[in-house]
Amino acid sequence: MWKTECGGRTRVEPAVKQFLPPCQVQCPINEDIQRTNVLISLLPEDPNAALEGVQQIGDYLYERNPLFTVCGYVCGLCELECNYSSQGGAIRRRLLKRFISDSYTYNLDEKEEFNIIKNKENVAVVGGGPAGLMCAFDLSKRGYRVTVYEASPRLGGALWLIPQYRLPEKVLTAALENLVRIAGIDVKYNMRIGDGKLTLDKLKNEGYKAIFMCRGTPTPRVLTFGKDPLEGQDLSGVMYGHDFLYEVSHGNITKDYFRGQKVTVIGGGNVAFDVARTARRLGAEVSVVCLECENKSSRDGIPADHEEIKGAWEEGIEINYSRGVKKIHGESGIFKKIECPLCTSVFDDAGFNPKFDTDDTMFIEGDVLIITVGSGPDKLALEKEGLLDERGRLAIDPLSLQSKTKEWIFLGGDVRKIGFMVEAMRDGLYAAESIERYMRGLDMHEGRTRAFEAQDIPKSRHYKHEPDVVWIPPEKRMHFQLFERGFTLKEAREEAKRCLTCGPCISCKACISIGLQDELPTVTVHEERCSGCGICTSICYYGSAQMKHVGDNKVKSTTDMFQCKACGMCVVACPTLARELIGCDLETKFNGALAAL
Amino acid sequence: MDEYKPNILCFKCNFGWGYLDDKTEVKAIVKNMVPVTCSGKVDTTHILTALKGGADGVLILGCNQGECHFQDGNYQTGKKILLIKKVLTSFGIEPKRVRMVFSIDPDGNKVPMEIEDMRNEISPFGPINIGKCAMAS
Amino acid sequence: MAVKPKVAIYWLGGCGGCDEAIVDLNEAILHVANAVDIVLWPVAMDFKYSSIEKMNDGEITLSLLHGNVRNSEHAEMAMLLRRKSQLVLSFGACANYGGTPALANFRSKKDIFDWVYRDSPTVVNPKGTYPQTISEVNGKTLILPEIFDHVYALNQVIDVDYYLPGCPPPPDLILNAVSAVLSGKLPPKGTTLSPHMAMCDACERNKTKPFKLEIKEMKRIHEVEMDNETCFLAKGVICMGPATRSGCGNTCVSTNTPCRGCFGPVSHSCDSGAKFLSAIASLLQAENDDQVERVVDTVVDPAGYFYRFTQAASILHKFDENKNRRCP
Repeated sequence: MWKTECGGRTRVEPAVKQFLPPCQVQCPINEDIQRTNVLISLLPEDPNAALEGVQQIGDYLYERNPLFTVCGYVCGLCELECNYSSQGGAIRRRLLKRFISDSYTYNLDEKEEFNIIKNKENVAVVGGGPAGLMCAFDLSKRGYRVTVYEASPRLGGALWLIPQYRLPEKVLTAALENLVRIAGIDVKYNMRIGDGKLTLDKLKNEGYKAIFMCRGTPTPRVLTFGKDPLEGQDLSGVMYGHDFLYEVSHGNITKDYFRGQKVTVIGGGNVAFDVARTARRLGAEVSVVCLECENKSSRDGIPADHEEIKGAWEEGIEINYSRGVKKIHGESGIFKKIECPLCTSVFDDAGFNPKFDTDDTMFIEGDVLIITVGSGPDKLALEKEGLLDERGRLAIDPLSLQSKTKEWIFLGGDVRKIGFMVEAMRDGLYAAESIERYMRGLDMHEGRTRAFEAQDIPKSRHYKHEPDVVWIPPEKRMHFQLFERGFTLKEAREEAKRCLTCGPCISCKACISIGLQDELPTVTVHEERCSGCGICTSICYYGSAQMKHVGDNKVKSTTDMFQCKACGMCVVACPTLARELIGCDLETKFNGALAAL
Repeated sequence: MDEYKPNILCFKCNFGWGYLDDKTEVKAIVKNMVPVTCSGKVDTTHILTALKGGADGVLILGCNQGECHFQDGNYQTGKKILLIKKVLTSFGIEPKRVRMVFSIDPDGNKVPMEIEDMRNEISPFGPINIGKCAMAS
Repeated sequence: MAVKPKVAIYWLGGCGGCDEAIVDLNEAILHVANAVDIVLWPVAMDFKYSSIEKMNDGEITLSLLHGNVRNSEHAEMAMLLRRKSQLVLSFGACANYGGTPALANFRSKKDIFDWVYRDSPTVVNPKGTYPQTISEVNGKTLILPEIFDHVYALNQVIDVDYYLPGCPPPPDLILNAVSAVLSGKLPPKGTTLSPHMAMCDACERNKTKPFKLEIKEMKRIHEVEMDNETCFLAKGVICMGPATRSGCGNTCVSTNTPCRGCFGPVSHSCDSGAKFLSAIASLLQAENDDQVERVVDTVVDPAGYFYRFTQAASILHKFDENKNRRCP
């Protein structure tokens, strides 16, 4: 449909200091959000004709982010910084991405392999989660022979914690399986490093010149009160949220598993709500107990996303704010109830330091207790491999992700710092670059700190409101299908059109990639003609045309190259022809058309 | 008998009109077409020069109001067109010879129709007569 | 003894204001009169056309021609003086761009004659007498100059060397121009002998322009309270300053009158009216889309305003052999 190009003159060049739209600054992997928004807005109205265009957009995204099909269901960090939120609502970028993914996922099985020539060294990636897969993908593209060592029988890591009503299984498996196929990555399943037989040194001896360790946080945190772990966490009926969600993802838990049972979930984060809403869909009566309070803007506010809380509340889940757990009561080895004093404060200046008022205590009875208060890395294994420092923390150079104790080992993802899926992906990409530099003997730090500056919102006369997100009514949601309705083609085009393209042209180039223009024009000011009348400043929507002071109490027009979109309005409005578009072929084409009259 | 067919010079915004076209089809049918990245780039001098240069009419195809990729390029040109029409009337030129259409047509299929439409509208006026410029002696 | 350079000052279709401006040089005129040999100046001195015809080609060093070309006598004299002169200075707005009389180009000659000699309310002309080029008077044939159907700028009729803008050109610019010729320190042919920047560069009011200039409604100068500091455009009054060349000494602007554009376009612009139209259209702001027409309608008589002095040089009406050349 379009003759899209990704390379050559349409490549977006990185720079040490780069101006970007705020969404792209916020995205840890700086995805080309603006470009894809523009391309989506230009899709044809006919859904069949649009399929080809969607495929092209997907291919472009896949080049740099093979997990993009997953992002559209679970991420949305970019929306937090969208300039439009001050004028009517952030662009629903996650749904736009999901729109592409909705079609693209089903074509992934047919996507051709990259067939990269792998003539560089062998690299091992320990951990088949998003961090490891991104690292493997990137290194494969650079020509390294990568092998992924995955402890479980399937790739995906913590992505399997996400319930299917948010991330359909088909989307996840298609993304994971095809990633390794397309990039030609070798995967060894059921290989746990540190299981005695398999150590990092052994891998080194097998010929791997570098290793990226990204095993994530497999160990659920136990519940504590004060400094000590609570007793009773081994009672029957007590389980950990992470284990529970993994079990559900394997398909081992039947539909009405919790029918007639009361399930209590301890925890206030997004994972706790995933657990709660999953349990609800399995027939349980669910209540959530968390330390934090309801007011999200306070320091002690509940960390879970507003959408999760709203969804949970709609589904009939009870939330008990500001409650800790002092004791887990059981009878004959079976869980019975928890004792919950009021939590008066969670954080103070020293950090996490919950304080309780035991005079105000409630008891919550239940059949099942699911503890979801976080998870941690396998510290024992890390220690055995000699990757920790004397304080028990990961000995790692934060700028290059290289281990300080063993220079051929790199670490990233949740094991380094717990975060979102896309943050782990960023670590993976970052480590790939570090590994390449390490292999090629290049400086590890040069040019790695990139400062991005976010551009402001362009002026517009037509700010529109964001479209509402449509959810299935709660009573119809008791299954594991998606409850959020995605965009239709028409809705996607309209929403993408709403994007104000805040970022500079040089970091987008959407128009050039589909041949709308041949090159990015630039505006130049002939200062000897500029009288300082300021009409250009009044008409510029992007804050690019500005007046600067020149000696003698006068002003002259200038252009901020990063804000300028070369729309040409200042050129037309200038009464003295002081502003000119260089690289725009309008005059040539116009004279040609005139001559042909 | 030769039927008078007005010469129309057409400015076509690339973001709204014909960007899905294969770049050869519409161009083959429509002569005298100037693709522009935004209708906001069309200046008064372009329109007047076109009319002086032999165009019987000037057609500008821009995007819908509120949908300009550059926020308001079409709106700016729309205002210019209204003023130009008033100026043309003083110059003795029919204001209908300059027209701006605010719409969207990614396939470019409607472009020949828009031009034909405009041709039909201005052909009763005859060829453009800017005249009165020849030296009398 | 050095031969004094010959200078001719001639009026074509003008009002005489340019001659006034030369006389306004006051004492300086005496220096000029001493330095040159004026061979033709109908308003002030008594020379005949035949004396010019008898001269050799190029004998006159400088001819200052003001006024536009509206009839055959203007055309004839312009061409005569061109032949006999080394340098021709197009003097004043009428010669440069047509001036205010060029607004007549918005009507046909017939329309004008009908109004002036028949339809105007104060005309009493029962016999319907119109001026004729050729007529019989007392048995003799009378030939008057023929009025053309179009007002021409000077450079559309003869080749012009330099331009002096203004209505009229201010005394200091006149003196500079004439001195430059006499001393031989001349800029390239075709230069306009005035600063090249637009008015806003020289105007004191420019610094009071707001950061974002928006005009919600265009007003006439008599409809606003004008002070001597605020930019006219900021008050919604059309001021042609942004598109008009400077050098006039800001006479109008400093007396609370907006610039009317008598100095014509800046160097690279060929049609100040068209460029000003684009600029003003950008500044007009409507509350919402259906108000746009109403706001544009507050610009009363745009053609008359924007082309007040430059109609004959406008893109649409200028007589230009190279019809397809886009200017500049």
